Parts: sequence; C-alpha cells; structure tokens
Amino acid sequence: MSDQPLAPPPPLAPPTAHRPATPMLQQIQDRPGVRDSLMGVPLPLKAAGAVVGLVTLALLAGVGFLVVDGRLEGQWYDVRDLGNATAGLRGWLQDEGVDHRIIWVILGTIGGIGILSVLGGWLLIGSWVERRVLAKFQIRSGPNRTGPFGLLQPIADAVKLMAKEIVIPRGADRFLYYIPPVLIFVPAMLGWGPVPWAERMTYLDIDVGVLYTIAISSIGVLAVFLAGWSSNNHYSLLGAMRTVAMMVSYEIPISLSLLSVVLLTQSMKLSEIVAFQDHYHVWLIVLIPFAAFAFLFSSTAEINRTPNDIGEAESEIVAGFYTEYSGMKAGLFMGVELGHAILVGALMSTFFLGGYTMFGLEEWIPGYLILATKIAAIYFLFVWLRGTLPRFRLDQLMGYAWKFLIPIGILQAFVVAIEASVFARSDAPALITLGAFAVVNLAITVVIVRFWADRLGYAPSQHATRPQLIADGTLGGLKAARKIREA
Amino acid sequence: MDSTGIVIGFWALSAITVVSALLVLLARNLLHSLVFLVLSFLGMAGLFLTLSADFIAVAQILIYAGSISVLMVFAVMLTPLASRDNGNSLYLLPGLFGGLGIAVLVGFVAIDTEWAEHRGAALAESDFATTVGTVGQLLLGRYVLAFEIASVLLLFAFLGAIVLVQERRRGDDDASQDGASR
Amino acid sequence: MTAASEPFILNIGPQHPSTHGVFRLRVVMDGEIIRDLDMIVGYLHRSMEKLAEERTYTQNIPFTDRADYLAAMTGNLGLALAVERMTGYEAPERAEYLRVIFSELQRIASHAMANGTLISDAGAWQTPLLYMFREREKILDLFEMTCGARLTTNYMRVGGVAFEPPAEFWPALQELLDELPDRTDEYAQLLIDNEIFLARTRNVGVISAEDAINGSLSGPALRGSGVPWDLRKAEPYCGYERFDFDIPVGKTGDVYDRFMVRMEEVKQSTRIIRQAVEQIPPGPHKNDVPLAIRPEPGEIYSRIESPRGEIGFYLVSDGTPAPYRFHLRSPALINLSLLRELGEGASLPDAVVTLGSIDIVLGEIDR
Repeated sequence: MSDQPLAPPPPLAPPTAHRPATPMLQQIQDRPGVRDSLMGVPLPLKAAGAVVGLVTLALLAGVGFLVVDGRLEGQWYDVRDLGNATAGLRGWLQDEGVDHRIIWVILGTIGGIGILSVLGGWLLIGSWVERRVLAKFQIRSGPNRTGPFGLLQPIADAVKLMAKEIVIPRGADRFLYYIPPVLIFVPAMLGWGPVPWAERMTYLDIDVGVLYTIAISSIGVLAVFLAGWSSNNHYSLLGAMRTVAMMVSYEIPISLSLLSVVLLTQSMKLSEIVAFQDHYHVWLIVLIPFAAFAFLFSSTAEINRTPNDIGEAESEIVAGFYTEYSGMKAGLFMGVELGHAILVGALMSTFFLGGYTMFGLEEWIPGYLILATKIAAIYFLFVWLRGTLPRFRLDQLMGYAWKFLIPIGILQAFVVAIEASVFARSDAPALITLGAFAVVNLAITVVIVRFWADRLGYAPSQHATRPQLIADGTLGGLKAARKIREA
Repeated sequence: MDSTGIVIGFWALSAITVVSALLVLLARNLLHSLVFLVLSFLGMAGLFLTLSADFIAVAQILIYAGSISVLMVFAVMLTPLASRDNGNSLYLLPGLFGGLGIAVLVGFVAIDTEWAEHRGAALAESDFATTVGTVGQLLLGRYVLAFEIASVLLLFAFLGAIVLVQERRRGDDDASQDGASR
Repeated sequence: MTAASEPFILNIGPQHPSTHGVFRLRVVMDGEIIRDLDMIVGYLHRSMEKLAEERTYTQNIPFTDRADYLAAMTGNLGLALAVERMTGYEAPERAEYLRVIFSELQRIASHAMANGTLISDAGAWQTPLLYMFREREKILDLFEMTCGARLTTNYMRVGGVAFEPPAEFWPALQELLDELPDRTDEYAQLLIDNEIFLARTRNVGVISAEDAINGSLSGPALRGSGVPWDLRKAEPYCGYERFDFDIPVGKTGDVYDRFMVRMEEVKQSTRIIRQAVEQIPPGPHKNDVPLAIRPEPGEIYSRIESPRGEIGFYLVSDGTPAPYRFHLRSPALINLSLLRELGEGASLPDAVVTLGSIDIVLGEIDR
C-alpha cells in the first residue's frame, strides 16, 4: 500500500476466537441469566424463602376455610369488599352519636382518598409499565437505570418535570393558559365515582351513573380546546381542533353503545349493570359485541390513544394541544392520559366485562383486585395497540364515526330495544333468551358490518399490491413504464 | 329543606352561578366569557342537585356544559378574530333591553306561580331513586307528543344541517376537472 | 354553502419530529388542508463542494460519508468510481465484489431506516422503526468490524477498498443473510397488509410516471411510479452485470408503492449479496494508486445507484491533485423538489407521509 506510514505499524493484538462485534453486544452476552443469579443465593436465604412461601400457603388455606365457613360474610374485616369496613365504621360512628353530616364528610373523604390513591398510584407506576411494556414490543429494554428494573423512573421523571421551568409563550392568553392542566384532571378523577369496585364498594352509586360518566367525559373537551387556543401556537390549535372535532363525534357512538347496555340491563346504575351480568353469568360483550367494540374504539379516540391519537400526533403536530406546555404542566397532561386510559379500562370492564365479578371468583378474590386485573388487561391492550398500529387520518376517523359506527350503532340499539322488551316479557329461561340474543346480535353485527362495509366501498385486500419485478431487457424510461402499466 | 348544608350549598352555588353569569357579560374576551358561561352552567347543575333532581343536573352538565359550550367553541374557532375585544359591540343596547325583558318576564312568572311544596310522604317519594324512572315514564307517557315533536324537530335540524353543508355535485365535477388539468 | 376559513401559516421544522433532520416547510394551511408549501433547505450546509476543491481526491472521500450519512458506502463508491473513470486506475476483482457487498448492505440499512421512519411518520410509534434498526444495527456491526466506523465508513478507495474484511466478517454476514428473509416476512405480516397503513398510504402522494421523469426523479421514488430504471442494470458498474437480480417497480406511484419498492429491494439486495459471497475470488483488495492522484485535465460526470437514487459526481480536473470543481448530484434534493406539487391540496398527515416516502437525507441535500 502506497499510503502506509514509514514507521512499521505497531503489532496487532492477537485475534480472539469470536470477538463480539461491539462492546454493547459483549455486555449483553455477559449479563447473568436468571438461573445464574439463583445459583449464588446462600442456603439460609433459600430456606427463608421456602418458609415464607409455606406460611403464605397456610394463610391462604386459612382464609379459604373462613370463606367456605361463611364466617367472614359482612364483617368489617372482610377485605373482599372494603365497603364492609366503611359500613362498619359508619355503624360505629352512629352508635357513638356522631352527627350524620359529619359521618358523611368522613366517609366521603375516605372514599375520595381511596379513588385518589388509585389514580395517584397508577400515575406512579403507569408510566413505568407503559414504557417497559412498549419497550418489550420494540425489542429494547426500556427504563432500567433508576432503581431496580428502572422502577424509580416515574419519580425521576416527576422530579425532572417539576424542576423544569414553566415557559409561557408570548402572546398566550395567560388567564386561559393556566386552567386546562387543572381542568383536564377533573373528568379523570370524577369519572371514577360510579365505578363499583365490589358489591358494597361504590363511591357514588347514583341512579344516573351511565349519564354521569358521559357527562363528565364531555367536560374534558373544554380543557383541550382552551389549552390549544390559549397557547398561541398553530400546532396547539390544530391539535385542539382535531381533538374537539373527534371527541364530539365519538361521544355519539359511545352514547349509542351505552344505550344498548342500559336497554338490556334496564338500569343506569353501574352496580346494577354489573349485578345483571353476575346474575345471568354472562358478559355483555357476548350479548352485544358491536356495542363493546364501538365503545372501546370510540374510547381510544376520546382519550387520544393509538390508533386514534390524532390530537397529539407526534409526527404531524408535535404534541398537539399541549405543545406549548412545559414542566409539570405538560406532565399533568401526560399523567391525565394514563389516568384516562385506566378509567376507560374500568368503564369498559364494568359495562361489558362483568366488572368486579368473575363467575363466582369474587367470593374468593377481592372484587377490586378482579376489576384491577381487568383494567390492567385493557391497559395492556392499549399499549399493545400503541406498539403496533399506525395512526388514522382525521377525515378517516370522522368518516368511521359518522358513516360506520353511528348508523350501525343506531341499528344495534333498535335490535337491543326489541330484545329488551322481549326479555322483560317472556317467561322462557334466561339462558335460552340471552343465548338467542347473543347469537342474533352476533349474526346481525357480522351481516350488517359486512354489508355496510361493502356499501362504503371498503376492500383493503384489493389495495395491497406487491411491486412488479422487472428482469433484464425491459429497462427504460417512459415507454417502458407505459408498457408495464398496460401489461 | 332547611338543613344547614343545603342552605350553604344553595347560597354558594347561587353565588357562583350569578357571579359567573355576570362575568359572562362583563368579560371583554369572548373565550373568557365562554369559560364563565360553562362555570355558570355547572353552578346550575349544582343547584339542581340540591333539589334532588339528579337527572336534570347530569343532563345540564351533559347538554349545556358539555355540548352547547363545545358548539360555541366551534363557532369561535370558525370565526376570524374571535378573541378580539368585543366591548363596544353594535348589539349592546338591543341585547341589554332584550335581556332585561326576559329577566323581568321570568321573575314575574316565578313570583306569580304557586309553587307546590312537597312535604312528608310526597317528599319521600321524590328522592334520588326515582327521578330517572319518573322522567322516562312521563316522557313516554303523558308528554309523549311533545317528546315526539321535539325528536322530529331535531331530526329535521339534523337533516337540514347535512343538506346545508353538502357540496353541490357540479362543484365536485369542477374540482375533479381542475385536478386533471393540473 | 361552505364556511369560509382563514388560512394560517404553519412552520414545520427546522426542529420537528418528521422532517428527518433540519428541514423546514413553510406551509399555508386552510384547516387541515395545505394550500401552499415552501421548502426551505440549507440549515445543514457545510460548503462541502467548495472545501473539496482544496483537497486531494482521496482526501475528499470522507466528505461523501457526511453528505449522505445514511448511505456512506455508496457515496464513497460514487467518488471512487468517478476518479477511477477519470484516471483509468482499476480496482482488482475482489475489490469489486467487496464494493458490491458493502453497497448492497448499505442499501438494506438505508432502506430499513427509510421505511422505518416512514411508518413512524404514519403514526406507528417507533415499533417498526426499531424493528428495522435491528437489521441496520447488524449491518453497522459488519461495517465496524471491517473499517472501524459505523456511520461514516470512509471505506472505498480509488483502486479498491481500504481494508480486507476480517475473518469473523464472513460468518456474521452469512448469519445476517440467513435471517433477513425471516425478518422481511415478519414485516410483511406486521405492516404490508395492515389496513390502517394501507388506508394512510394508498393513493396518497401519487407521482405519475410522466411527472416522475419530468421531475428527474431517481431511485425508489422513480421506480415506485412504474419506471423501470436502475443504474445497476442500465449502466452496470463494479460488475453488477454478473449478478442475477430484478428491479421492482410500483404501479400507481403512491406512498405505498415507494414503500413496497424499498421492501422488495431489500430482498433483491440480499440476493445480490448471496451471489457475491459465493463468487468472490481471492486476491488483493486494492491496487497501488499514488497518494496524490493527478488526473489529466478534463471533466467527468459519473453516476451510480445510491439507495436514494442516482448519486452523481461531476469532477473537473486541471491536472493538479485537487479537483478544480467538485459537484455532487444529490438524488434526495431532486426527489424532494416534487414535494411542493404533491403537498398542495393534501392534508397535513398526507404531506408528512409523502415527505417520509421520498426519503430525504439533509446532509446530502444541503451538502
């Protein structure tokens, strides 16, 4: 080689047999597996672990005995239903002669603290869960530097967000700019009111629970709009316009699907909707599958999650309506996103997945844990969708709501209304009528969805084409292109 | 209904409603007015709650605070220069007189009506548990005609809106030709 | 009756998630619809072409790394070939094979990046991007093994390539070749038939074959419009005529076609590499070439097929070791020039996806 330096090159290191390509790969290869890490555990610790396991099993067996015995039923220490404890507290306070208004205040505060701790606890772990799960979908590790498994990451995030300067853009409407981060939290908290966590464990078991949830969710629109308008930024305004348009459109399919639920269960009380599903041992998702789908899909639009996250579409309008918010204000918007996701999970499982009941399992496992599991499952579905699907366009989403979900939702509501009146009048066993409804509804849904999709000209299979492969000889410019096009 | 809690609630909610209603008028920015309007709607919903009318309260939030305000939001968004100062509007005097007239009318009706007081058994009947059912029964029973007329009216409004915003066919053709010739 | 609305100006970039670098779009929007669109480039201008006039031909090779930084190998090769064609120096046969192998590896890596960011632009939050980075990472590992750099490789030389790949390169390459078909099948399942993705990309950003040729497009953007033109076939260099491969062309010229052309080109590149690995002869990897190359006075325009299209080098020599004029025909810049017509009347999400499908690299556009 002519461009070698004159001095002889330094001797190379001896080649290793299989040099990993990069230091990073080396690190990954050297990482101990689970088996290796267990090998190093000293014997006393192992023994202690075994003892703890056995004691836990014994405790579980004891609890099981008590449950079978029925001795727990309705006692204040019956943790399967925390409503028992509050009822006990209330009885005790009444016996003590405390004024009933003070009792209301005390119990209301306890319930409110309960809801807030669910929400706050979720905000603490939710972002970690989302990032870790998403990372698994994306073949990377996710946060793993702060604490064990990166568990302290949300705290680090929160500290960072709080320490950041809050920048208010010039020309922003300062009065309106401060309202949205607070206002958007209101529906995320109030929405939890009527959700039943166990049989006696409902904070706000009101008669108009279904209407209440719809009403509360409609307040969030205002916060979004104010955020977008007051920031004096075109991205924010675009995001706000998109979100408001979408929320208004998707409230209708949600209302229609909840109408089916209400018609079938003959109640707007969330606890009675759950009781209906428990009583007939059927989840409403089986009876009215289209309503369940419409609810879930529309909810993703309402709460700005993939595939309907056009309100904060990162690749288009940066962060949508909260582009101009910084520090903890932006943190509140992001936190609300998590809060909304589990609220939707709770509502979805209450309306369509049996709520806190699980075909008798709630006798053994606390109902709120069952509900939490269902919420977690739906949340996982959300994260899954986020990790998989691209995003719709605004006009496609609006078309989907107005041309597809709403007409079919109205039809579904008609069918369910007929079924509900049949159900109320017939003497046939519930198994037969409900089974017939399930079959009929599924069949109608399939037929109508197919028919309507054809009417709307939906045929994706025709669109997915593969490129044509050109071998030698036919290369060229426009003539060749025309030849290929005509062939 | 003379429990202290209710009385405090009534005065607090009335204050919120009235003050924010006044601020709707006094705010010189259209969007600030809108926010106060929503606040006053929420205060009204609270007042309904103190009257044990949970259905109306929720409907107030759903329809007025949730939907009507969004309608106004759309109106604001589609209006150029919506957030400008509109203090010296052309409609100040007519609006003032019209509003005063309505206020006088409503006050007159309110004073003139003999309000039936529910006590005892009647009061116990009209508690939270029955409002939705009662409203439903009345809507589809005694007031079914009014209900149906309202529905038909809404349907026509709906169709009318669609007809109004529908682009004409000819315009579509023109657009496609433009696209082809470009 | 239509509601009149007020157009407003939106500045997309220079810092924006989907401009792929420091690129600025000044857009006049009417609601969601783009009425007018200005492309503003030059934020990454480093005066590369002028600086190149002060350096020898070999010293200019690193500039080509930094021009198209996602396809450094083809940039290197373009310059090396231009100088070789100018001077008559030749690369040994083994070097030609190595050049083909590394160019095609670079093509796979670049297309993976292009398609990944395109789907990211369409809203799939980074998952496809990171999946595609998996291959890119392995390819960059191969680069690192061979020449020590991952991004700015500086590998091709006038008269050959800089280094012989180490012994462990070949099994690692074989491993990559073995798993690539599985991976492309995986993407097919995940993406190609995804209905949302189809709805977002079908009939969006359509470039007709006529427009593509009039706009002087090249690369996947041209082939997506159905024009079967590929310099590897049309003007074979480095012995591309030895290999058996096909040119994928699309039909409608929309975003989806450009995406699919890239997907298919990855497969074809794998085919080429396989054949090259089987046929590669032993021998030197570089001929002796003087350090300061003094071509005869004259000029040359030499072009090759980079992942983004026709990358051309126009060199003028005055007989000194440094070029008198050094010009880079940037395929991304010329492909981008059609964006204005594509964007007008499109909605903002469509424009973003269209921009993603054109696959720009700002380093090369601004130079």
